[in-house]
Amino acid sequence: MTIPSSLRRASRLFSLWLLVAAPLGAAEQPAQPVQLKIGTIFATNQAECLDSQLAKLKQQLEVVKYRCYRLIREESQKGTWQGNTVFEIPGGRSLVVQPFEFRNSRVSLKVRLLEGEKPIVDTTVRFPNKGNFLLGGPPHEGGVLILSISAAAQ
Amino acid sequence: MTECDRIQEWLGAWLDGELPSAKAAEVKLHVEKCAACAAEKERIQRLDAALKRALEARVSDAAFAPFWAGVRDRIAREKSWRDRVFDWMRGVLAFPRLAWAIPVAAVVLIALFSTVRYFGWFAPTNLASVESIDGHGFNVALLREAKTKTTVIWLFENQETEDDNSVEPAASEQAF
Repeated sequence: MTIPSSLRRASRLFSLWLLVAAPLGAAEQPAQPVQLKIGTIFATNQAECLDSQLAKLKQQLEVVKYRCYRLIREESQKGTWQGNTVFEIPGGRSLVVQPFEFRNSRVSLKVRLLEGEKPIVDTTVRFPNKGNFLLGGPPHEGGVLILSISAAAQ
Repeated sequence: MTECDRIQEWLGAWLDGELPSAKAAEVKLHVEKCAACAAEKERIQRLDAALKRALEARVSDAAFAPFWAGVRDRIAREKSWRDRVFDWMRGVLAFPRLAWAIPVAAVVLIALFSTVRYFGWFAPTNLASVESIDGHGFNVALLREAKTKTTVIWLFENQETEDDNSVEPAASEQAF
């Protein structure tokens, strides 16, 4: 059977566009490390307060409806793709963060919170580059800890 | 109803060739033997013939000249741009030529989708998507609030093991 010339042209056009357009949607994996930043916030209801260093997070923290927020630790580390980066969290806890994918300007992280050796939570979260999310709830000295986890791919 | 009445009801259909063969044979046999029905048959045939003649006369009287003149005029007249566009579209959209449209539409959609994803258009600003959570015995709540662009994963101790003194309750209302 002879393929009509219009169909031949269309299939060539289709192949060309596929070659050009398809890689655009593919995953990017920058070689540079990813900047991970963990802010550990202590939240209580004892008195109205907001740490001045948490001004940027004020709106986000209001979602959890505590009265007082204090930044008790902030730590930045350069993480490697597919590698674990460990952050110390008050109360004998640690947070293991593994950046594993950067696609469509969004970073994917595997996050594990441990209390000593005991895992408390394992989660996989994808969020916009240079964005953050909050992980909260672990009790601490009459209040709770809220972790602001952010990542910035270079 | 007599036999003749029954046969005469079928005469018209028989003359038009619309009766099944068995019934047609029955009518034919009857008409050949029955003078009254044969006369009725001839009456119907005469009526048909008269009708045919009258129709033919009407047709020959009809003036077809203006109709054909109109047809020739339409053929000769130059088509308007709109007619030419319609003619072109009819040609382009004819099935074999339409085959190119399917891959082209697919390509355009793929290219659009890839471009939108590449540039991150329409992506939610700071909202995270939580792909999996394992609380290892803790209860887990997930909150995504678009207004403040906040995603919160909150851990609760199980009710049975919860120590009431260890966790400060939230202010006025439970957050989750």
